[in-house]
Amino acid sequence: MSNLDEENNILIDTVREFCEKNIDEKKIEEEKIGKNMNSLLASQGFLGAKIGDKYGGSALDDTSYHIILEEISKYSPSIAMKIFMINSLYMPAVINTEYESILSDVSSGKVNVSVDFMNDKYSLDYNSNVSGIIKNILNPDSKNIVLFDKKTIIAESPFKINEKDFMGFKGLKFGDIELDNKYNVVDDKNRKEDIILNSYNDLSAIALGIISGAINKAMEYSKVRTTFGAYLKNYEPLAFKLSEMHSKENILRSILYNNLDKYYTFNFAMDSIVEIARFSVNIHGGYGYFKDFGVEKFYRDAVILKSIFYGNEQLRQLSNHVYSEKLNFI
Amino acid sequence: MFEEYNDYRKTIRDFALKEFTDGVAAKYDRDEEYPDDLRKKSLSLGIIDMQNPAKILIAIEELCRIDAGLGISVTTPYFGAEVLMLFGNDEQREFLNDVYSGKYILGLGVTEPSGGSDVAHIKTTATKKGDKYILNGSKMFITNGAIADYLVVLARTSNEEKPHHGLSTFLLNTKLNGFKANKLEGKLGVRATNTAELTFNNIELSKDDLIGEEGKGFYYIMTFFNISRIYVAAQALGIAEGAFDKILNYVKSNEIKDENTMFGIADISTRIEASKELTYNAASYLFKFEPRPQLTSMAKAYAGETAVYSSEKAMEILGVNSLNENVERIFRNAKIMEIWEGTSDVEKLIISRFILKGE
Repeated sequence: MSNLDEENNILIDTVREFCEKNIDEKKIEEEKIGKNMNSLLASQGFLGAKIGDKYGGSALDDTSYHIILEEISKYSPSIAMKIFMINSLYMPAVINTEYESILSDVSSGKVNVSVDFMNDKYSLDYNSNVSGIIKNILNPDSKNIVLFDKKTIIAESPFKINEKDFMGFKGLKFGDIELDNKYNVVDDKNRKEDIILNSYNDLSAIALGIISGAINKAMEYSKVRTTFGAYLKNYEPLAFKLSEMHSKENILRSILYNNLDKYYTFNFAMDSIVEIARFSVNIHGGYGYFKDFGVEKFYRDAVILKSIFYGNEQLRQLSNHVYSEKLNFI
Repeated sequence: MFEEYNDYRKTIRDFALKEFTDGVAAKYDRDEEYPDDLRKKSLSLGIIDMQNPAKILIAIEELCRIDAGLGISVTTPYFGAEVLMLFGNDEQREFLNDVYSGKYILGLGVTEPSGGSDVAHIKTTATKKGDKYILNGSKMFITNGAIADYLVVLARTSNEEKPHHGLSTFLLNTKLNGFKANKLEGKLGVRATNTAELTFNNIELSKDDLIGEEGKGFYYIMTFFNISRIYVAAQALGIAEGAFDKILNYVKSNEIKDENTMFGIADISTRIEASKELTYNAASYLFKFEPRPQLTSMAKAYAGETAVYSSEKAMEILGVNSLNENVERIFRNAKIMEIWEGTSDVEKLIISRFILKGE
């Protein structure tokens, strides 16, 4: 089905073993990803999965990186999002700039970094000061943050943070930042679009992990839960739907690891993720609505992932890609 | 439909806009705390008129449109009252006045850890001993469970060939020895509402606590659900409308005009309108004492799915701007609409059963 080799399969087993042993997502959501978890992730080479060995990273290929994102997302979408932000958003913005040396401290878990991929507006002055409000940022407690204005810039800490509660990726801190900070330009262009575009397969890997985690929960529950004298799995509408969802999961895995067109893969992932996570909650009845059963988190994170990274802009890109021209949408 | 209550609708809406501010709703949601002050305030203003079901329906819709966690919290202290109203004796009906006045909070204990929808197979027992019943067992996901003064409880009083024939309903005083409530925390949404797991350990009930006739409990509870489902449809309708309000406000204030969003608006508003028609139509039969359970189930299932659909669409259309708690809270609140008072799957079974019976 997928073109995964023996090494890939060993990696899958290793990551699963790590997750089984070390990840308690309920605790992570309550206490946030702390120093101990950062150290663990760093020691396994996950934090710096794509970062070069010059900076203590693992310099993994795409397939290995996607395996890590998928497997960790099944247990903790929050941790997968942290790894994604470092390797898919932050690193591409700073690599080959004077900031790239910080990647050593990032891959070793010593410092947090973040990227503002929302649509915030900033004011830049000639004294290298940036002001404005960053609304709704993950990892606000960062050493520095990549911002996208007309240029790609980096704002330096300390940041004035207004921490807030947030329903998605709850293992990461979240909040607003009142900016009055020094900044440096890392690129004369705003690179947000191309960085996100290049991360489509990485996002699809996280989506696949969420989908897979949710379906696993639903299928296991359908085998042990009885109602009206029969196991849930023996009711046609439920079995048909779960089987259809399981098929979608495997199609997504196949197109991701066989490196099919990233636009198609990402679109398929985003088209499936919320429906699957929602149905997995439904299967659990009242229990699905409670954190203890570990399935509602997939629904929350699925919706947030889609809200942040997939909208009209991505649909326009898909259409332009399909038509092989920039369409003049009315 | 129900246009004669437009002034009442406005009164409720004004109350909700004034009292259910974003800050208040977010606080109760974060703290998972029951808003008893708002319950008392709504009572002092006479928001809920239990003598008029159309007014209850409208109040639930409008309150949930502003915030479902608070809206449901202030409209559920009467949960289960219809069982007493329809099947209780004079004394039990008299007792309801103290519920309507706010002196007591009521709740309904049907669902058990081993099953929610499969009511006929509940395991809680009320064993007759002389002129008493001894109650043993446990209940799950009970709204108001840890704050209720009294609960309408379904228990097995005999083992019959058809299991639903052996069930009876009781009015349980939660101060009695042997009653224990464990508040459940960590809900995805409607976090201001109180939900609990209950255990009954040799609770002594008197024969006067029996509601109606022994062995008729299943019928009473099914009759109740056929009524209460219409109120859940109203909760869901309110949530869908609240999500749509957020979308419209965002689209207008940001002058968004792309066609994809326009199609989304058309689609959501069509589903809301269909939910409203289904809900009001089913309610109009119910309130004339001519219930059509299949219509009520259609309303509940469709409005529930519409609440989820609209709230997911709000998250999608607002995109990164949806990440403030006042929008995401609507999304989290919506999901329970497909679960409680009969999951959407159970509603579909009821609908098809009635359709096949030709009713």
